[in-house]
Amino acid sequence: MGSRLKMLAMLGVGTLAVSCRGVDFNTLVNKGASAAPQLAKGAVEVVECKKLDVEPTVAEEYALGGALAIHFVQRGGGLMFSTAEEKKLHDYVNIVGKNLAAQSLRPTLNWTFGVLNDTEQFNALSAPGGYVLVTRRLLMEVDNEGQLAGALAHEIAHGVLKHAIRQYNAQKVDACQTAQGAKAVGKAVLSALSANTLLAALETGGTLDLDNEPELLAYLTEKTLAAFDEGNGPKLEFEADRMAVQLMLSAGYDPAAYLGLISKMTDVKNQKNHPKKQERRDKLVAYLDTLKGTADEFPEVATEGLRSPKLKQPDYAVIRPASSSGVAKDSVK
Amino acid sequence: MRMRTRAAVTAAVLALGLPGMAAAVRVNDPLYVKAKNTRVQQGPSSTADTVVILQPGEKVTWKGADPKNKQWHQVEAPGGKKGFVFQTNLSTTQPNMELVTDKDGTRQLDPKKFVASGAAVKALSPGAEAYGKGKKGDYEKAVADIKALEKRNEQLTPERIAAHVAEAGLFPVVGPSDKVASKKSSGKKGGN
Repeated sequence: MGSRLKMLAMLGVGTLAVSCRGVDFNTLVNKGASAAPQLAKGAVEVVECKKLDVEPTVAEEYALGGALAIHFVQRGGGLMFSTAEEKKLHDYVNIVGKNLAAQSLRPTLNWTFGVLNDTEQFNALSAPGGYVLVTRRLLMEVDNEGQLAGALAHEIAHGVLKHAIRQYNAQKVDACQTAQGAKAVGKAVLSALSANTLLAALETGGTLDLDNEPELLAYLTEKTLAAFDEGNGPKLEFEADRMAVQLMLSAGYDPAAYLGLISKMTDVKNQKNHPKKQERRDKLVAYLDTLKGTADEFPEVATEGLRSPKLKQPDYAVIRPASSSGVAKDSVK
Repeated sequence: MRMRTRAAVTAAVLALGLPGMAAAVRVNDPLYVKAKNTRVQQGPSSTADTVVILQPGEKVTWKGADPKNKQWHQVEAPGGKKGFVFQTNLSTTQPNMELVTDKDGTRQLDPKKFVASGAAVKALSPGAEAYGKGKKGDYEKAVADIKALEKRNEQLTPERIAAHVAEAGLFPVVGPSDKVASKKSSGKKGGN
């Protein structure tokens, strides 16, 4: 998303290049002519709006992530969280996920792992603030705990690397520019109050109190969701693949399970940016080859004692009976 | 896995932009604790007595791998206590301690107090909850589902995580408790 920002700046975003700082939108609505001198400021104003491209506070991230998670749960037919068996399954998925997340570079976030009722799509998603969701379909197809851990680790990696935050920040900057341009020609996208809140953030570090700004939360959530639906570009997916494998190696899972997981994926057709699975697999195999240091250096990655444990029963029985829960494999490298 | 030169590895890792892999750490260099309740043991084993328990972000000095049990590493903990820590409890990169720092990132709270306080307990944010309820229908149901899940997750303690890890034969990274047990710590606990 950073490249998108750069592109906007290079283009000058002509019609939107009105100052986002210190302008009262109330005075601009329906007064396009009076805004003309502001439009001449050009690229300088784009830079002003880019002040919103900052690390959000944890509270801001929780609000955005919670709102996005609500969309993901709604789309996925709700959480699989009705019966005692389904709740036990959630306990298991959360224990596996929290163990991995505790070893990530964001160990103080409290991570939440949900199973969606969706039985059609083999999919996993993440939202900022430590929300990770997997579909029931995915759980139906994984062969062992290593593959489950791989799916969760990939989504944890997106959260640690703050990939969705990049999309959100781009929407904040866009909102600053778009609202200003739209108001200059009398077509308000945000209310004057919300638009002025965005402007005020330019002077206070660029973060937003989304819990107390419902219109901004709704607007930015839905814009970020639309960007999310385009899919992450290949670079971000490969980055998440590599961090996922690091997490698996830290926890003691055989990374071969991750390759097995990728082989189960169907290439995502509705996300035009998502890379092809064969390319992901090839890059990951090459990456695994690089993970050893010299004898006198601290070896951050374990290469011995790695496992792909069976899926835990009876916790997993609501997905698949114990008799077909996968074969344990001790594959010491 | 094939061995490559360290230069090639470092170049590859830097190109990936991944934290935690780029810095080469040698004996007497610092390492950081990754996970909750990281145990510093008297000997190179999860069943040895625990000397001290550390929390994410705490810094130790690396003294090298145990010659026989190479996945156990000797460290000097804050305060000078020495012992052995499992390999993957340690990182060359300091983790993001976002919930124990001020907004400007300067004042760090004591990680031990943070873990003990339960400050990391999360509930759906009030803004997100109001947003979902306002959209009604399936969205309102999604809010209820997420809240119920987060409430239930409060019972998923590090002890339960450690118990599952032991049962599954994974690495003993997350420790069961933030307090040193009066008797030998049990890295081989049973199931949930």
